[in-house]
Amino acid sequence: MMTASPATDAAIVKLEDVHLSFGQTQVLKGIDLTINKGDAVSIIGPSGSGKSTILRCINALVTPQSGKITVAGTRVDQLTKESERIQLRKRVGIVFQQYNLFPHLTVLDNIVLAPTRILGADKTATVKLARELLEKVRLSEKADAYPGQLSGGQQQRVAIARALAMKPELVLFDEVTSALDPETVGEVLWVIRDLIRDGMTSILVTHEMRFAEEISDTVVFTENGRIVDHGSPQQIFHSTENPRIRQFVGGLSGGGRGAVRDGEGI
Amino acid sequence: MQDMNLTGLFIDLMSRLGLNYEFLATGYEAQVWRDGFITTLYLVAITIPVSLVFGLIFAACLTSGRLWLSAPVRGFVELTRNTPTLVQLMFSFLVLNTVVSNMVGGAQNNPLSPFFWVVAVVGLHVAALHAEAIRGGIEAVPSSMIEAARGMGFSQFEILRYVQIPLAFRSSLPAIVNGLISLVKSTTVGNAIAVSEITYASIMVWTQRDNVVEMMIVLLAFFSLINFVVARIGQWVERRLAIPGYGL
Repeated sequence: MMTASPATDAAIVKLEDVHLSFGQTQVLKGIDLTINKGDAVSIIGPSGSGKSTILRCINALVTPQSGKITVAGTRVDQLTKESERIQLRKRVGIVFQQYNLFPHLTVLDNIVLAPTRILGADKTATVKLARELLEKVRLSEKADAYPGQLSGGQQQRVAIARALAMKPELVLFDEVTSALDPETVGEVLWVIRDLIRDGMTSILVTHEMRFAEEISDTVVFTENGRIVDHGSPQQIFHSTENPRIRQFVGGLSGGGRGAVRDGEGI
Repeated sequence: MQDMNLTGLFIDLMSRLGLNYEFLATGYEAQVWRDGFITTLYLVAITIPVSLVFGLIFAACLTSGRLWLSAPVRGFVELTRNTPTLVQLMFSFLVLNTVVSNMVGGAQNNPLSPFFWVVAVVGLHVAALHAEAIRGGIEAVPSSMIEAARGMGFSQFEILRYVQIPLAFRSSLPAIVNGLISLVKSTTVGNAIAVSEITYASIMVWTQRDNVVEMMIVLLAFFSLINFVVARIGQWVERRLAIPGYGL
């Protein structure tokens, strides 16, 4: 569980007073966040509130101007060389909204490329692992297909398998269902739900409120570069005193979208 | 003897059509002419890979985001694109080659032949054209895909090697094949510095025999054939690299 107290040994991610701007635009205005190993944390909030930027900070894809970031024992904010950031990224998986599979490689090669070429893992073992992961995301029969031949939901499941093939210590999901049509959202959420049940530390930026409520240990609400509130799904979705959060979750989770998707996800 | 008979038959047949191929019966001129074909084929076979390798290196430099790599290459690309290959060749052979000769203590010590200068000048000239085509392809790779690769721990070079170049090569292939066809034709500039490729050899023959039309027929057919093969290989590579379900 996320706590307000100082990080325990179980903390795998800890952000302290993180400030970040792109040019004149202040994106993060003092983020404090602690995430323990094995937790599933959902970050919700309106567009432009800095959700995705928090994930990119954790993965060292962007560097904040001030604040402390500790990820799996590494002080990310103190990394000065690109090679050090690369070492961190190899340990932290990230899946994006646009899947971004490599279009010129088959599904299997997409999964095998990074572990073998970037980590230097054994090819035979990696292919075996890739096939297991494909089975896990229910796409065994698509191993030799190219990304362009798959639906959005299938591509996103391959992207998740690709991230898992790096054997990451935690996985970041950046609005992974936002580009999908409602019918395929469920199949992706199903895979993530499985992953979380297996104990993978997961941080999700999502607009799927029902899903966030179901799978999260902690829900974080962000707005205007700040964490407005955090707590259990019960607290955030049902018993918050904050009128802004009530308005936000009411407007999103009350509608048909979340409900329909959740129903299909099982 | 069999060979002589066939040659004789050919000469005889052609002369009935009013075409003069009598030089084929001689030793020296026929030899120069045959060597011309071989020299041109060598030039093409060596210059094509040179142009591709340097085209790739130039494109990598241009898109590296490092000024000390991109600025000199940008300058070279502009210079070589905007000036005639023939002038570049003459400059290289008459000026650069002389500088090299002076540095190594005389032309007899200079290992660089006219053949080398044709390969270097034509190869790098076409490399500049390739570089622009490949650069366009590299820059067309969506930034979100590059971010995804970075997110997995790819270095800038690994992104170039495993993601950008494979995609850029496919999208720039038609332009590259055009460049190679132009390269094949450009090898004829070698005759300006006495590389005895096929045009040089043909000129040698027709100044003696006054059979320009006859030599031209063979010359044009020869280059057409080479470029037909280059274009077909290009198409074959394009088909082989086509990505199912992808617009390239």
